[in-house]
Order: sequence, then structure tokens, then C-alpha cells
Amino acid sequence: MATTKPAPAESETAIRVRALESILVEKGLIDPKAIDALVDTFEHKVGPRNGAKVVAKAWVDPAYKQRLLTDATAAIKELGYSGMQGEDMLVVENTDTVHNVIVCTLCSCYPWPTLGLPPVWYKSAPYRARAVNDPRGVLKEFGTILPDDVEVRVWDTTAELRYLVLPQRPAGTEKLDEDALAALVTRDSMIGVTVL
Amino acid sequence: MNGIHDLGGMHGFGPINPEPNEPVFHAEWEKRAFGFFVTTAAATGFSVDEFRHAIENLPPAEYLETSYYEHWLHSFETLLARRGVVTKAELDARVAQLSQGGK
Amino acid sequence: MLLTPDLVPAVVASGHSARVDAKIAPRFAPGAKVRVRNLHPTGHTRLPGYLCGKTGTVAIAHGVFVFPDTNAHGLGEKPQHCYSIHFTAQEVWGPTASAKDTLRVDLFDDYLDPA
Repeated sequence: MATTKPAPAESETAIRVRALESILVEKGLIDPKAIDALVDTFEHKVGPRNGAKVVAKAWVDPAYKQRLLTDATAAIKELGYSGMQGEDMLVVENTDTVHNVIVCTLCSCYPWPTLGLPPVWYKSAPYRARAVNDPRGVLKEFGTILPDDVEVRVWDTTAELRYLVLPQRPAGTEKLDEDALAALVTRDSMIGVTVL
Repeated sequence: MNGIHDLGGMHGFGPINPEPNEPVFHAEWEKRAFGFFVTTAAATGFSVDEFRHAIENLPPAEYLETSYYEHWLHSFETLLARRGVVTKAELDARVAQLSQGGK
Repeated sequence: MLLTPDLVPAVVASGHSARVDAKIAPRFAPGAKVRVRNLHPTGHTRLPGYLCGKTGTVAIAHGVFVFPDTNAHGLGEKPQHCYSIHFTAQEVWGPTASAKDTLRVDLFDDYLDPA
């Protein structure tokens, strides 16, 4: 909790959060150190690098890719990235004919163990409203323009399944090893708003 | 419910505007609010479904004008008050105390 | 229970699946044509309004899960099958939508009728 610069004036929301935490701690209902541990986990340990390793392994290991596409939860667990908000996973593969995009129109469901916490834009009204009925317009804003003969398949993740897109391996990467490939994989490509 | 949260297909929200190099959290209070989810769910046993429904009950204009973790805060306040764990009066009193520089 | 810091790694690593181990017969199999019921409950639901009345095809049978519409209100888990339903963009958004593009949405048995 170390801060290096003076805190700006505390917002009403910040005060309200602090007030709620102080009451919950006084009542013995929460341990603030558990909050510190949760924050540390999702700020520093869990993030899209995990998903990138899953993708890179699928690119180099056909048997792993097969397991990933048939039982994503188990295949991702092999690499140790399962758990909260990734309890039941599906991986959907981009091909020359199908491009997948993930959205949660009703809230902001997102696969935490493989991608970390979602960016603000993913949780925002514009993305949630438009991804389902203007996917190509949304993709264009991310610099992604797909040929008309590619099916854009939008997954609205309304239930407790969490989705990860398996992007296509970029051309010219045949000589790269798994670690080098993982470094190429971006968060946005695993949401499906960009291609690699 | 036919709430404002049911955004799929709505028009008029404008561009997505992703933030380059976005941090995981944008303020210290967001970290604490994030941490409330697992800790208060463990303490009181609310389900993610009840948690989401409390967010859906935000007044529509407020829903659109507030941020994700403000939605969460609203839900925590609702669920904790519903269970009598932290009443609104109790929280408001503590907010007033802290706003006046109290510890 | 009080969540202490030592428990956090295990809680994060295990999560809490909404999948239910129950022998319940699915109402639909992959390939089945379904119509989304025209439902407007005042309580919690995970049926997006834009799908009411639309016709699609069962693409994936996910298995049995807790039903959020009852669970949110303390009315029990009412476990039931959940499916990824495939819709054409034109079925959902009309003739101005792309003829090529599609949607997949996870929907529960209680939201669906045979079409």
C-alpha cells in the first residue's frame, strides 16, 4: 500500500469505500489483508500473459490444441490458469472462414485466470451495446478489417461459461519457439477485437 | 428485468475509445472495492446472481453515469443492508465522520 | 466465513463453478431449432431482451448449471441445461445486418421453446 506521491483530494466514492471497509473490519467480517492479497494477485500475478501462454502452446502442440478445443477448462488447468471467473471455459478458434469476438452485453463477464481483469472499454456501454449488432464497426475501431466472406461470430457470454479466442498464428513465425510466440499474443486478440 | 444493463443492440453510445496502456486499477479505492467482492461474499454468502441483480436495480441514469466499481459499491451496500449487516444509516454516519477528517 | 489472506490463493485458484452435477434430461440436442420465449420478468434474468422471439439452432450443449433467475432471489438453484444458441445476424437484427455474420448466446432451458 506504499504511495510515492501525495494523494489527491479524496473523492466521495473513495470516502464511501473507506467507510464501508472500516465498518466491515470493525465487525470482524473482512480482513483487509485478504483484500491486499486479492488486489496483488490480480494486479501483478494474473493477466493476459497467462492466456498468451495457452495460445502459444496450442500453436506449437497439436495434441494440446485438440484438448483445448474439446475441454478448455481441463486443458487450461494443465498450465495452472484455472479458478475464479474461469471455472468453466470454452476456447473458440479463429480460422480463415470464422472470426470470433467475445462480449458480455448484460454485465462484464470475462475470463479472469487467462486474461486478468477486464479493461474499462470491455465493461463500457458502447462496446456492450455495439459488439452484438455492429461487430464490424467495432472491429474497425480497433483497426481490424475482415473480408466480407469471413463470418464474424459474436459470442454474448450471458451464462457462467467464460470464453477465450484462439487467434490465428501469424505468418512468418514458423521458426519462433513457444515463449517468443507467446510474446506476440495480445489481450485484444484473445477477446477477438484484433488479429495478429 | 428490462433494465438499462441490458445494453445489447442499443444505439447512440458512440465510439469505444480504448485507453492505451490501461492500468488494472485507476484509483486506490477501486482496489478496495474489487477486494470486497470475494471477502463480503465469503462473509455473508450472497451469490453472484444476487450481486448482479442489485447492480441492475441502479436507476438507469445513474447506471450510465457511474463506473464499474461504483456499480459494485452500490451492490455491496444493497446486499449488506438487505442482510442487516451494514445499514445505510450506519454507513452514512461513517461517511460523514470520515468526510470531516475523522479516522 | 472470514476470508483470511492465507486462504486467498486457494479461493482464487478454485473459484466456484455454477455447474451442477445432476442427472437432468436436456430438452434439446445440438442441431435442434429453438425459439426464444418472449419473457419480460421483473426480476433477474440472463436472457438479453434483443433475443426475445428469435429463432436459432442449438450449437453446443454446455450441461447443467444453476439457474440465475431463481438463484438471484433466494428461490433455489433450479438446475437446468444451458446451451450455446446460434443465431444469424439477420434473424436478430433484420435485413440490413450482414448475411454472413452470426451470434452465439448462452441460454437456459427455461428461455427456450422448440421451433
